[in-house]
Amino acid sequence: MRELEHELRALRSSVEFPATPDIASAVASRLSDTSPASPWPRRVALVAAVLAVAAAAGLAIPQARSAILRVFGVGSVRIHYVDRLPAVRPDAPVALGPTISEDDAPFPLLRSDLVGTPDEVHASAGVVTLLYGTPTDVRLLVTQIASPALGPNTVKKIVGTTTNARIVTVDGSPEPALWIEEDPHVLALPNAPERLAANTLVWLRDGITLRLEGATTLEQALRIASSFH
Amino acid sequence: MYERTVVGRPLEEPELVARAQRGDAAAYEELVRMHQAIAFRTAYLVTASAEDAEEVAADAFLKAFRALGRFRRERPFRPWLLTIVANEARNRRRAGIRRQALALRATTESRPGDAAPSPEAAALDAERRRQLLEALARLPDDQRLVVECRFFLELDEAETAAVLGVRRGTAKSRLSRALAKLREEAPDDA
Repeated sequence: MRELEHELRALRSSVEFPATPDIASAVASRLSDTSPASPWPRRVALVAAVLAVAAAAGLAIPQARSAILRVFGVGSVRIHYVDRLPAVRPDAPVALGPTISEDDAPFPLLRSDLVGTPDEVHASAGVVTLLYGTPTDVRLLVTQIASPALGPNTVKKIVGTTTNARIVTVDGSPEPALWIEEDPHVLALPNAPERLAANTLVWLRDGITLRLEGATTLEQALRIASSFH
Repeated sequence: MYERTVVGRPLEEPELVARAQRGDAAAYEELVRMHQAIAFRTAYLVTASAEDAEEVAADAFLKAFRALGRFRRERPFRPWLLTIVANEARNRRRAGIRRQALALRATTESRPGDAAPSPEAAALDAERRRQLLEALARLPDDQRLVVECRFFLELDEAETAAVLGVRRGTAKSRLSRALAKLREEAPDDA
């Protein structure tokens, strides 16, 4: 009887793959526009060192079946750097909770003259989201959380090794903000299924943690962020 | 061009990685050259398109370069790279661009410059090759991919798990199921 594994090994030498193109030259010609990421800035590393203890004490995400490399936070948002993102349905819905009127929000919301009145306001478990567009055609999401009231672990963002995340500054906010871009990351909000999220800015203002999703560039995100007060 | 400490001695991978982390583009180009074939073939198995695979591999190498500062040099480079390639390929596949089923083919004639076939390969007749590849193409994607990674790309367990985006144990059990299914689909006494 022939062993299937032997047959598959024998088959390897005759399997046809397309010829490998000269990727190295193509990459080399594009390298001049980029540079390797620096190791995390000192400030982040310090925060990470402190919070790594917290992670070991039980803040680890059970759904993330991968090694947590670093953890740090901005307000009520905790950022978990992992070597492999947990499995998330790519079509997981944007679940924001029921709609409310702005007057019914559990805390005074920050508003922006630049982006104006949201099309809808949603609230779930103390997390309020301003929606610009419609639930099926989202243009911009601004999530607001009263940080001291809900604690530091309200929102988890799970970031893989191929996602860029860097510390930035929002005008008018003394605290460091975080810009997450390129590959999608996983967002875990209370009472909502984990979903993939695109470019996101997280910052603090007046004791409220804000999270902006939908801006395509950092400059655009910073301009919108500084308009919320 | 990166420096060579000993004339004529090609630099080893850890040294190339270290230099690339310091921004040495020539060292990184050399790294890409070392791994471009496995990256391209991995991307091809996931995307089922040579054109997509080329773009995916190039994009993955650029992302890897940007992320290189966070790569820990005590770990092997290839599984880390293949994780990025496979993520990029899966994203491309999810985008639904030119999605098609992958059906690998076997060569029927030797080509100029080909090495003489191994005794095992010579023993595997054309009909059996076709039968196995057709059965493989009928497997669910995740089972097809694990077989192709292990036997056609000769990835080890850790690398296969990286490509599949699962733990090693999961990759191993998936391979077992895939082989069992293949035995049903292509019995050797057919």
